[in-house]
Amino acid sequence: MKRFLTWIFLAVGVFTASVSWADDSAIRQTLTQAILTEGADQQKALTDLADSGAKIVADVLTAWTHDGVFIYAAPDGSKVPVVLEDQMDSQGRARAIKISDGLPLKDDKGAELRYASGDLNSADADMRLRSAIQQTLDALALSYPDPEARQSAALKLGNSQKLKYVPILQARLAKETNAEVRKALREGVDLLQLTSPDSAVQLSAVEDLTKIRAIGSLDNLKRLAAKPDISPTLARALHVAIKAIDDHITFVNFFGTIFHGISLGSILLVVALGLAITFGLMGIINMAHGEMIAIGAYTCYVVQNLFGSGFGFSITLPFSIGSKPISFGAHLPGLNATGTLYESYFLFAIPLSFIMAALAGLLIERTVIRFLYRRPLESLLATWGVSLVMQQCFRMVFGANNVQVNSPSWLLGHFSVNDILFGYNRVFVVGFALVIVAGTWLLLTKTPLGLLIRAVMQNRAMAASLGVRTSRVDMMTFAFGSGLAGLAGAFLSQIGNVGPSLGQTYIVDSFMTVVLGGVGSIVGTVCSAFGIGTVDQVLQQTTGSPVTGKIIVLVAIIVFLQWKPGGLFSVRSRSLD
Amino acid sequence: MKSTMNKWLARAAATVVLLTSTAAFAADTIKVGILHSLSGTMAISETSLRDVLLFAFDEINAAGGIKIGDKSYMIEPVIVDGASNWPLFAEKAKQLLEEDKCAVVFGCWTSVSRKSVLPVFEKDNGLLFYPVQYEGEELSKNIFYTAEAVNQQATPAVDYLLAQGKKKFYLIGTDYVYPQTTNLILYKYLQLHGIALDNIGGGLRKDDNGKVISAGKYTPFGHTDYQQIVAEIKQFAAGGDACVLNTINGDSNVPFFKEIAAAGLTSADCPVVSFSLAEDELRALPTKDLVGELGCWTYFMSLKTPENKKFLANWDSWLSTENHPGVIKEKRAMDSPMVLSYDGVYLWKAAAEKAGSFDVDKVRETLESGDIAFDGPGGKITMTKNHHATKNVYIGDTRANGQFKILKSYDQVPGEPFLLKGLDEKVAAMSK
Amino acid sequence: MQRVLKAEAWRVGVAALLLLVILPGLNAFTPPDSFFHISDFRINLYGKYLCYAILALGVDLLWGYTGLLSLGQALFFTLGGYMMGMHLMRMIGDLGQYHQPIPDFLVFLGWSRLPMFWKPFSSFAFAVFMAFAVPGLLAGLFGYLAFRSRIRGVYFSILTQALTYAACLLFFRNSLLMGGNNGFTDFKFILGHDLRSAATQRALYLLTATVLLLVYLGCRWLCQTKFGLVQMAIKNSENRVLFSGYAASQYKLFVFVVCALIAALGGILYVPQIGIINPSEMAPDKSLEAVVWVAVGGRGTLIGPILGAIGINALKSWTTRAFPDMWLLFLGTLFIVVTVFMPKGIVGIPEQLRGLALRFKAKPKIEPAAIAKVNERDA
Repeated sequence: MKRFLTWIFLAVGVFTASVSWADDSAIRQTLTQAILTEGADQQKALTDLADSGAKIVADVLTAWTHDGVFIYAAPDGSKVPVVLEDQMDSQGRARAIKISDGLPLKDDKGAELRYASGDLNSADADMRLRSAIQQTLDALALSYPDPEARQSAALKLGNSQKLKYVPILQARLAKETNAEVRKALREGVDLLQLTSPDSAVQLSAVEDLTKIRAIGSLDNLKRLAAKPDISPTLARALHVAIKAIDDHITFVNFFGTIFHGISLGSILLVVALGLAITFGLMGIINMAHGEMIAIGAYTCYVVQNLFGSGFGFSITLPFSIGSKPISFGAHLPGLNATGTLYESYFLFAIPLSFIMAALAGLLIERTVIRFLYRRPLESLLATWGVSLVMQQCFRMVFGANNVQVNSPSWLLGHFSVNDILFGYNRVFVVGFALVIVAGTWLLLTKTPLGLLIRAVMQNRAMAASLGVRTSRVDMMTFAFGSGLAGLAGAFLSQIGNVGPSLGQTYIVDSFMTVVLGGVGSIVGTVCSAFGIGTVDQVLQQTTGSPVTGKIIVLVAIIVFLQWKPGGLFSVRSRSLD
Repeated sequence: MKSTMNKWLARAAATVVLLTSTAAFAADTIKVGILHSLSGTMAISETSLRDVLLFAFDEINAAGGIKIGDKSYMIEPVIVDGASNWPLFAEKAKQLLEEDKCAVVFGCWTSVSRKSVLPVFEKDNGLLFYPVQYEGEELSKNIFYTAEAVNQQATPAVDYLLAQGKKKFYLIGTDYVYPQTTNLILYKYLQLHGIALDNIGGGLRKDDNGKVISAGKYTPFGHTDYQQIVAEIKQFAAGGDACVLNTINGDSNVPFFKEIAAAGLTSADCPVVSFSLAEDELRALPTKDLVGELGCWTYFMSLKTPENKKFLANWDSWLSTENHPGVIKEKRAMDSPMVLSYDGVYLWKAAAEKAGSFDVDKVRETLESGDIAFDGPGGKITMTKNHHATKNVYIGDTRANGQFKILKSYDQVPGEPFLLKGLDEKVAAMSK
Repeated sequence: MQRVLKAEAWRVGVAALLLLVILPGLNAFTPPDSFFHISDFRINLYGKYLCYAILALGVDLLWGYTGLLSLGQALFFTLGGYMMGMHLMRMIGDLGQYHQPIPDFLVFLGWSRLPMFWKPFSSFAFAVFMAFAVPGLLAGLFGYLAFRSRIRGVYFSILTQALTYAACLLFFRNSLLMGGNNGFTDFKFILGHDLRSAATQRALYLLTATVLLLVYLGCRWLCQTKFGLVQMAIKNSENRVLFSGYAASQYKLFVFVVCALIAALGGILYVPQIGIINPSEMAPDKSLEAVVWVAVGGRGTLIGPILGAIGINALKSWTTRAFPDMWLLFLGTLFIVVTVFMPKGIVGIPEQLRGLALRFKAKPKIEPAAIAKVNERDA
C-alpha cells in the first residue's frame, strides 16, 4: 500500500482549479475536518475538497480508502489524523505525519513518535463514505494523465446527480483532446443536466445523449420518462433517445458477440490443435490430452512461483514403515523478482509449458502408447487410465485446491471501440492461436520433420520400408502434439482456473472440434473451432442461456456429422477401412 | 466367500489405519466418519474439510479424548472418499453407519451429496454434521446443520448493500438447488424492500400463471466462458448504484472474476458479493485485482478475537507436525466451512459428554435442548431446536492478501431454514 | 462341443446358486454376529454391482461382439433409471420435506401443481414402459442416422460421447423439471413396499440377480443364432458382410437398440436400490468406466464383463475406504496395465499363460529339429 501511495505521488498531475485556495494549510484543515467529522459536515468538507486540486488531497483520500489514515489519540483526548511515512526502521515502524500541518507527530518531550501500521487505529470508511471520497477523488482524477481514469471519473461524476460538478466537467471538456474522454465528459454533463429543474436544459441534454448513444444513461432516461409531469416535447425526445440507445445496444451486442465467438473459437482452437495432431494424424484417442493441458497450466504456476518466492510441495503416502509414514517433499527457492521482471514470467512460462508437456508426452508415448498403435480404440482406455493417474498426481503435488495464477498486468484490462469491449487477454488469445496454427502448419509442410510425420501418418509400412525410423517419428509427433496442449494450458491459466480437473473441462470440446473439422485436417480444425465458437456465442446471446447454446451446438454437430460423416474437410482415401 | 474376503480386507485396512494413526491406544476408541470428496471435481473444496476435521480429532485426543461417564474415548477417524460421485456418497454413508458403526459422521459439501445420503442417515438413524452454507428448505432429524442458512448469509449481505445505497441487483449463479433457491428468496426479499423488477438483473422465468419460478442468470457447473454475462453486467451497471449477488459455485468463480477484472468492473463501481467464495477459494483467484469485493460468512480468518488467534496458531503448529497422508502443508488458508466443521466436532463432543452416551437419540435430544454451545473461532455457536446454529455473521471485503476485512457484524443470528413460505406471505400482504 | 456346453451349464448353475440362493440366504437366515452373515449393506452393494454387470453385458454385446464401441451406454442406463425414478418420486406422496403432493424440487422451483408430463408416471406400468421406450427410441433414432451414413469406429465412439454429454448438460438444467443437479432422491415406496426395509432390498437384489442371469442367457442364445454370426462377421470385416449381401446397418441398429434396452434394464433396477439418480450418472466418464469394466473382465466373452463390473466396483468400494488418497492411482494403473499387456482381460489370463507356457516349452522341442534340418541342408 505504501508503494501505492508513492505511485499516486508520481501519477497525480497538477490540477489548476477555478477556485483558488488561500494556502496549503486551509486545505489541510478541511482534510482533517473531513476525517474527523461525520454526516453532513463530513460530506460538505469532502465536496469542498473536490475543487481544491491539491496533490495532498488525492494522496490522503486514496490512503484513507485503503486504510492508510490513522487516528492518533492524543494524551489530551483530542484525535489527530496521521499518515505513516514510507521510510520504516528496523522494527517496521515509521514516523507519523500529521495531516493538519504536515509535521511529524511528537510526544510532549518533543521526541518523534514512531508506529507500525498495526499500532494505530485506522480511520474507518464504510462503503457509503468511500463512494463520497471516491467522488472527490474523481473530481481530482479528471486531470490525471491516464485517459481511462479521466473517462471513468467523468462518468462517475455524471452519475453523482450533483449539478455543482457541471462547471468542473465543462471546464475539462474545453481542454480535453482524447475522443473517448470527450464523449464521457459530454455524457457526464448531460447526465447531470437531466436532473436540472430547467426543462430546456433537460431537453438539450436528452438530445445530446441521443447523439452520443450513451448506454449508461438509459436507466436515467427511463426513470425520467416514467415521471408523470414532463412536457410532451421532452417525452418525445426521451422516447427517441431510448429507442436510439436500445438500437445502439443491439449493435454493440451483435459485434460484441462476434468478437466473443472469435475469442472462444481461438480458445477451442488452441485446446484442440494438439489433439488434431495426436488424434487427427496419429489416430491415438488421447483421453489424457486434457491432462497435458493441465501440465502446461501448472508449469505456468510453478514458473510464476519461481519468479516470486519459490515453490514447495510435500507428499505423504498412506503406507508406513513401522509407525513412520513415507513422505517426501522439496522446496525450490525463488528469484523474489518484482516489477517488470515478475510480470514477464509468462513469457518464460510459455516455452517451458510446451517443453514440459512435450516431455510428459514423450514419456507416455514410450511407456504406454507405442504398444497400442494397432489398437486405436484401446488407446482410449489406456490413456484414460493415464489421465486418472495424472489427475491424482496433480492433487498430491499441488494440492486438491485450485492454485493461483496471476495474469501479468499487460494481459489485464481492455480497450473499447464504440462501446464494444476488447479484453487484452482475449485479443492475445486470438493472436496466440493464429501464431501457433501458423507454426504448426509451417512445421508440417516446410520442414523435413514435417515431411516424415506426414509420410508415416499416411502409410506407416511404406515409410518404414523406405528407411524412415517410424517409431522415432511417432515419438516426436506425439511429443509435439502434447507440447501444443501444454501451450493451450499456459494460455488457459490466464483466463480460467488451474486445478487437477482443468483438463476434464475441455476434453469433450476438443474431440468435437477435431471430429467436426475432419480428422487429419488442420484447416478443418481451424474452421470448426471458429465455427463452433461463433455459433455458440450467437446462440447464447439469442437464447439468453449459456447452456442451451452449448446443447444445441452439440446436437447440431451430431446431426451435421450424419450428413457429412468425414467432417468439414474430410481427407480422401482409397482404402476401405 | 466374497463377504469374508471383504471382511478380512476391511480388517487389514483397519490395521493400517491403526498403525498410521498417532493416537495412543490405551483408552477406548470411538469411530467417527469423515465423508468428503477427496477426488473428482469437488475435491478442490472438500479436502480442506477433511484436514480440519483430522486437526480437531487430534486436538481432542491430545486433550484426553471424549469423557463419557468416567471413561475416556479416543476418536478414531474413518476416512472415506465420496469421489464427487453421489451414488458413491450414499454407498459410503451406508458403509460408515452399517459396517463401521460410526457414532457420528462429518461430511458433505454440495446439496446433492447431502440429499443423497439423507435417506441413509434417516434409515439407519445416524448422525450427520453438515458445515457448508446451503439453501435451507430442509430439516432432517438426523442432520445437524452448522452451516449458514440463507438468513445468516445472503439476506444480511443484501441488508448491508441496501444500507449502502445500492439500487440495482444482478443475480448470477450456478444452475443447481442452492443458487436457485437463494436467488428466489433474494428476489422476493428485494421486492419486499421496494426494488423494482427492472432493477433486478439476470432475468426472470415465470410459469404459465405468471408466477416467478426462477430469478437470475445460471451457468452450468464448470462453466468457463463468462464473456457475454460480464458484458451484460457491464451494461447493467453502466447507470451506477449496481451490485452483483454471486452464487456461482467454487470452480467457475475464477474465470468469472478474471473476466470481471478484464472488463474493468471495479468494486467501487459495482461490487460483487459472493456467497460461495471464502478464503480457501480466494487462494486460487487473482486477489490483487479483486480488492473490495464482498463476502458474507459466519467466520473470517482475519477475526481478531483471542479464540481465533489461538485456533490459528494451533492449526499452524498441527500442520507442521502432523503426518496424515494427503494433507498439503504449504499456503493453507482457514475459512468458514472449515471452522464450522471444527465447531461441529466440538458441539458433538459437548453433547455426547453431557448426554453421557454416544447413542444417537440421546445426543440428538441434548443438541436439540439448546444448551449446547461452543466458543469457536468465529464466536459463540449454539445448536438450537431446529437443528441450525445461532452464531455471528460477518460481512467483509477482500484485500490483496486474500483476506477479508470485516465491515460489519451481526451478533448471534439464529439460523432459519424455511424462508420461502414466509416471504411469499409477506410479498402477498404487501401487494394487497 | 457338447462337453463345453455342459461345463458352461455347470458354471452358470453354480453362479446362479451362489447369487440367488447362498448370498441372500446368508443375509436372511444367519444371525447378524455370525461369521457367515452377510449384512444388508453388503446385499445392497452386491445389488448395485449386479446392475453394473447388466450394463457391462450390454456394452460387451455391442463392443466385444459387434465391434461398435459406444461411449454413451451410461446415457441409456440413466434414462431408464430416470423414468423409474419419476415413478418413485410420485410414490413419495406428501411425505417430502414440504408435505406437498408434488416432488420437493418442484416446490422450491416455485411450482404449485404437477407439470403435465409428470402425471402418467404415477402408474408403475407406464413408468416401466417409458423406461424402455425412451432409451430404445433414442438409440433407434441415433443408430438409424449414424449407421445409415456409415459412421463407425472412432467416429461412432466420439459421437455417442457427445450425445451423452449433451444429454448430461440438458438434465443438469433445472428448467427441464427433472430435478436438475440433485436429480431424484429420498424415495420411500415401490409397489407399496417400504424401500428402506431389508426384505424389499433383498427382493430387489434377487430380482437383479435373476435379470442378470436371464440377460446373460439371452445374450448367449443370441450369439449362437445366425444373427449372432452375422454380428461377429461385422466386427471382423464389415465390408465383406456388405459384399455378401447383408444389410449390415440394420443388424447394427438392432444390436444397438437391444444394448440400449439392456442398459435401461440395469438402470431401472439400479435406482430403487441406490436411492438416487442424477445427471452426473450420464457424464461421459461413467460410460468410459463401463467400457473399462468390459476391457478388464475380457471383451468378446459374456462372463468377462460380469467379472469386470463386479471386480472393479468391489475394488473401488474397498480402496475408497482403505486408501482414500491413492485409489485413483491404483485404478488408473490397473487400466493401463490391463489394456497394454492383457488385451483379453481377466478371462484371457489362462489363455495368455498357456500361450506363454507353450512358447516356453516349445522352444527346445523345435530347436534340435530345426538345427537338424539346417545341418541336413548344409550337408
